[in-house]
Amino acid sequence: MGKINLASTTVVSREQRLGTIISWEGDALKLVEESGYSVPGCTGKKGNGCKLCEINGPFTQGSVCSEQMVECQAGNVRGAVLIQHSPIGCAVSQTIYNSIYRNGLAMRGLPVENLKIVSTNLIEGDMVFGGIGKLEQTLNDVWERYKPNAIFIGTACATGIIGDDIDSVASEYKEKFGIPVIPLHCEGFRSKHWSTGFDATQHGILRDIVRKNPKKQEDLVNVINLWGSDVFTPMLKELNLRVNYVVDLATVEDLAQMSEAALTVGFCNTLSSYLAQGLEQNFGVPELKAPQPYGFAGTDAWLRGIAKITHREELCEAYIKKEHERVTPKIEELKKKLKGVKGYVATGSAYSHGLISVLRELGVEVNGSLVFHHDPIYDSEDPIQDSLAFLVNNYGNVENFSVSNRQPYQLYALLKKVKPDFLLIRHNGLAPLASRLGIPAAPLGDEHIAVGYEGIVNLGEAILAILKRKKFHEDLSQHIKLPYTKWWLSQDDPYILAKNPEIIYQD
Amino acid sequence: MSHIQNSYENQKTNSISRPRYGCAIGAMYTASAIPGVVPITHCGPGCADKQYVSLAFYNGFQGGGYGGGAVPPSLNASENEVVFGGNERLKELIQASIKVIDADLFVVLTGCIPDLVGDDVPSVVSKYQEKGVPIVYAETGGFKGNNYTGHELVTKAIIDQYVGEYKGEKKKNVVNVWTEIPYQNPFWRGDLAEIKRILEGIGLEVNILFGHESKGVKEWKEIPKAQFNLVVSTWLGLSTAEHLEKKYGQPFLHIPVIPIGAKATSEFLRKVSDFAGLNQEKTEQFIQEEEKLYYKYLEDFSDFYAEYWWGVPSKFAVVGESSYNLAISKFLVNQLGLIPVKQIITENPPEEHKDNIRKEFENIADDVSVSPLFLEDGYLIEQALINSEEKPAIILGTTWDRDAAKQLGGNIVEIGFPSSYEVILSRANVGYRGALSLIEKIFTIAISASA
Repeated sequence: MGKINLASTTVVSREQRLGTIISWEGDALKLVEESGYSVPGCTGKKGNGCKLCEINGPFTQGSVCSEQMVECQAGNVRGAVLIQHSPIGCAVSQTIYNSIYRNGLAMRGLPVENLKIVSTNLIEGDMVFGGIGKLEQTLNDVWERYKPNAIFIGTACATGIIGDDIDSVASEYKEKFGIPVIPLHCEGFRSKHWSTGFDATQHGILRDIVRKNPKKQEDLVNVINLWGSDVFTPMLKELNLRVNYVVDLATVEDLAQMSEAALTVGFCNTLSSYLAQGLEQNFGVPELKAPQPYGFAGTDAWLRGIAKITHREELCEAYIKKEHERVTPKIEELKKKLKGVKGYVATGSAYSHGLISVLRELGVEVNGSLVFHHDPIYDSEDPIQDSLAFLVNNYGNVENFSVSNRQPYQLYALLKKVKPDFLLIRHNGLAPLASRLGIPAAPLGDEHIAVGYEGIVNLGEAILAILKRKKFHEDLSQHIKLPYTKWWLSQDDPYILAKNPEIIYQD
Repeated sequence: MSHIQNSYENQKTNSISRPRYGCAIGAMYTASAIPGVVPITHCGPGCADKQYVSLAFYNGFQGGGYGGGAVPPSLNASENEVVFGGNERLKELIQASIKVIDADLFVVLTGCIPDLVGDDVPSVVSKYQEKGVPIVYAETGGFKGNNYTGHELVTKAIIDQYVGEYKGEKKKNVVNVWTEIPYQNPFWRGDLAEIKRILEGIGLEVNILFGHESKGVKEWKEIPKAQFNLVVSTWLGLSTAEHLEKKYGQPFLHIPVIPIGAKATSEFLRKVSDFAGLNQEKTEQFIQEEEKLYYKYLEDFSDFYAEYWWGVPSKFAVVGESSYNLAISKFLVNQLGLIPVKQIITENPPEEHKDNIRKEFENIADDVSVSPLFLEDGYLIEQALINSEEKPAIILGTTWDRDAAKQLGGNIVEIGFPSSYEVILSRANVGYRGALSLIEKIFTIAISASA
């Protein structure tokens, strides 16, 4: 049993905790069989049974870092301020996370405002003499300007290398200001996958914000999400339960009261794995052990799991029945319209497992998916949360299942092989390539779009709309030159350079 | 008045919130703005993405184009490269990039990690240069400065390491143009196209160097042959022009004001024509044709401007880099008769240029003088705006200034980085044609918010 250890200020990276990989090819069934739930000891903890081999090659395109996930989580907590202890370049992405924050607030009906992230703006001299003085200055600026309820301090590659001791500064200022001042160790180079950044933020929240002497609120459910629209309140209301959304757009108090909730649920195991287990292991708040809430099978099981923990079985069964009856005719209509359509899912890991279930409910053919990373096991280590196995067992295999960490050059070869009519995407950087190949993509900026029963309908309608855009993309594809060599464009195997790295030295 | 203004400049600390520029490696977009050029970023896993989603996406949604976005090869440096150095990995990545990426020129840009651990990037890259691979490098670690610094480093790297020496003849009437930074200024594509158009109009052959109307590296190879360099900006590009003067013996003309509107543009063209020794008659003929059309449109606009019942705002603030700030302020004051109440300069220009910039603002019109503030931190900028003695009814600024505009009950026109609520393709704000679309934008926003 993995333990979420809150003693250290530094989170243990995903690859160390879960055996996370960022490059792999095969089919979904093979990946299930080679992953942690099937292979005892395969959690990356020097287990001998692990067969999950990564196929990293000599060519890589720019990825994403942990610090960005800290920005998008800790930087989106209302009433808190995130300090980026970094040169100015790390701070430039406040732009995207501000846009997300503003639009997220608007979607939830909250007052729209700029996010509050401040960079210590380190320059060349600070690399030599250290940046602690500037961190203290920024802490004082933040306190004076905003009087926040909590201050997060995130590190950067540069501050990690020069070795600034942010832990000491954080404890000192925690005393001084009388609020949580939380160090988050999130240097980009420390983990090969950015999802460690989620864990870094959640680790800090568990250590320094979550209330240590909770008063139970038996009808409160922690929902770990991002900035998506409020679809969980109407669902859980049917069970007389209240939603506590965390981490994005939550207040510091919402985060503190997580320990008082009846249970914790999520919409994506990738995102919720660490925080949910941290709450269970350290605060006694159970994590829902159930499939993710996608498609009929997943949503039914997810609701029943919640009902069991909160003793609301009757309400739950009535709701399930009512919803099945309500959405089934709509889904039948959508199925007719989507007949013969082929989709491809290129999103975060566990999220893709959920989306493929929904597509298959809609009768959309899915014979390929790209995920940015793969966790062979989640922190709970409970097989019921093996979302990939749930997909394969309930909806069948996915023939071309690829792990590729935001590498558009590989996506080119993958799409050539799979030839989908559309893509579902979430992260930036892949849809532009699909577009140039004439394939439209539905960007799921609102991550809740496909959740629950209504999610099946939502996704179906989104796909119908996006298919119409084929006109634009096909036209464009006739007038485009791709930035790849003829040699690469003629390759069929996206992983050929990883398998035969010597090719790069041949003419 | 100056006392209150100074108080904000005096409150500056190291802290920066709501940044209005990228770091030096943001100049990967200087590289990818040249058709056919692809940057290779030697840095941590998030550096290139941060610049992409900010400079090229949530900034007018300009798009990564051919060689930007998620395309650039990147090292995604890990603990291994921090501890043992990244030279070997860089070699491998360059070799692989040549195999996979179809580029006329690669530009290697370094981030904080290699610059801190002391990777020997020059020696890695020079091995490829010796083999004839079109590749250059620039050391652009984020702590070295912002993307304005990076822009000049990349420009200079291409000139010195790729364009190279030239001792031959100069071509008369050929000019190299150094002005806005691609992507940082979300209107750069349209603006550069208009600048090229008007310079061609008076008989010049123009190396515009960046954007869809540039011929890419072929055009960069022509740089040394040009008759002169034209710097159209308050300070950016001056050091490049000085470098070219030394390197190729090219003179340069520096015009600090990017021309917007007929008055400024005609004056600009006359100055250039004079400096280049062009046919004056031809210049005047072009100006006449352009002005005729321009003033026909202004005549149409004048009905609205003169008698729109519900009034149009007069007091404006501009928050942006010195060049665009000056250009827009001048246009709004001199051609539209609007009232400047707060001009905030945000790119942190080098100290030695600040006095000249101040002077330009002091002499913005015969009867109007402005004291700009130099601020980079979003908090202080917002304080300066909302506590402005005279409230601006229009802020020409960035997404960061939307909240201030709301507090002031005014309008926001996003004209600089970041412009996250604008979609910008070929629109321009400069020259004759850009001025008209700027007028359309400002007054559409002003009146559409009214009811």
